[in-house]
Amino acid sequence: MNNGRGSVFPLVLDQVCFSPKGFPIVDRVSLAIDAGVRTVILGANGAGKSVLMRLMHGLLLPTSGRITWCGRDQRAEAQAMVFQRPVLLRTSALRNVAYGLKLAGMPRAERMKRALDALKRVGLSHLSQRPARVLSSGEQQRLALARAWTLEPRILFLDEPTASLDPTAARDVEEVIREIGATGCKIVMTTHNLGQARRLAEEIIFLHRGRVMEYTPANVFFHAPRSAEADAFIKGELP
Amino acid sequence: MNTTRRCLLACLAGLTLISSAALAEDKFIVVASTTSTEQSGLFGHILPIFEKKSGIKVRVVALGTGQALDTGKRGDADVLFVHDKAKEEQFVADGFGVGRKEVMYNDFVLIGPKDDPARVAGGKDITAALKKIAEAKPPFVSRGDKSGTHSAELRLWKAAGLDIEQAKGAWYKDTGSGMGPALNTAASLNAYILADRGTWLSFKNRRDLVIVVEGDERLFNQYGVILVNPAKHTHVKKDLGQQFIDWVVSPEGQKAIADYSIDGQQLFFPNAKR
Repeated sequence: MNNGRGSVFPLVLDQVCFSPKGFPIVDRVSLAIDAGVRTVILGANGAGKSVLMRLMHGLLLPTSGRITWCGRDQRAEAQAMVFQRPVLLRTSALRNVAYGLKLAGMPRAERMKRALDALKRVGLSHLSQRPARVLSSGEQQRLALARAWTLEPRILFLDEPTASLDPTAARDVEEVIREIGATGCKIVMTTHNLGQARRLAEEIIFLHRGRVMEYTPANVFFHAPRSAEADAFIKGELP
Repeated sequence: MNTTRRCLLACLAGLTLISSAALAEDKFIVVASTTSTEQSGLFGHILPIFEKKSGIKVRVVALGTGQALDTGKRGDADVLFVHDKAKEEQFVADGFGVGRKEVMYNDFVLIGPKDDPARVAGGKDITAALKKIAEAKPPFVSRGDKSGTHSAELRLWKAAGLDIEQAKGAWYKDTGSGMGPALNTAASLNAYILADRGTWLSFKNRRDLVIVVEGDERLFNQYGVILVNPAKHTHVKKDLGQQFIDWVVSPEGQKAIADYSIDGQQLFFPNAKR
């Protein structure tokens, strides 16, 4: 499938604000995101992480400011998003994955093959014929990742993808995220979980009350945070 | 390490190099320094030379300057290698450190778009350039992360007679970013930005950005080296730490600093007064 293989990066936010009814949730954010490294948007509950990601994705429109993809205003086609609780169709795991490919116009035989391949990659091929809704939460999340993965997005947004999972299931999901990233797909994910950020992040965007307090390589963030807010967040979360 | 052993090491350190090899694995110091020094690759270049000569291993803890000073205050380092002259002098005045010496400087450069909408290119006067930028209001990206570079930028706006809090509008983009991400944002928005030369030299994704102002003395960034006060923290490795300091400011250490370059460009300029 060709998802518009031209360049979509950098994704650039220029003084982006989102303030419904005048209440600022995301406040004057300027940043550029490039392909390659896994980017984690970190912050406490209510910091504006999910809203910032929805703005990037195009699900929300900024109140002011501008978002561009490689200098163009229209949002990139080649992107996908996975939410905290996946929305699954009332059919088998395999058909859930294949459905996205059907919408993309892929012939049946090929899409079934691709869907099965994706299930294999997330470790669910043995459950391909199970109704998606009887899968465990962790399996459902991996199914959602497989569904996103088959569309070969250039960028995959993940909103607290393991927030409702137990540690083992969360690890499995993290492993899949790492593999998707390794295929060259840009990963942007939100989390409030410091351990997860340490495991997955290569760069951190730390948000506090809608403002970016730090945007820095992960090793710098965890060893030498510059802002008192990030320092407190890191210390507060440590066991 | 017990006291007897520590004394032995101290004695040996003052003697010859012959015995140092035998005890090499025991001899190390902790140097608290800044991320800029570490990330620029300078330590990777000079420390092996020192270690080979002295038999003393140097363990670097790379932090922000403020945190490095705090580490020294707690006695968790033997030597500080940082760049905030005023705070360093305060650190010594407060009795936390002794014998501060100046080592080297690096410099900041003003980066901007090739087509230079604010017409500042070619000049040397950084404050004149910033005044023009505040008038023309082209995009300007600020680190906005309370880093040393951010502080330097704020000082320079002030030196230019501008209250940036008052003057800033949508053109002034406070990004809260590290140097690399901030340069990336500037490159994407074709904006002006103050950067340290080291990060600029190793920055690959420049697009249409070039150096527009450099060489003003106010862009220099002085590094100093301080021994954590052994009278305050008795476990500080006074003699080993002092050997490191003496080497860094010696002709050999200064040459090692001067020899370090990226793409043929020297990053740090030794200026120790012995």
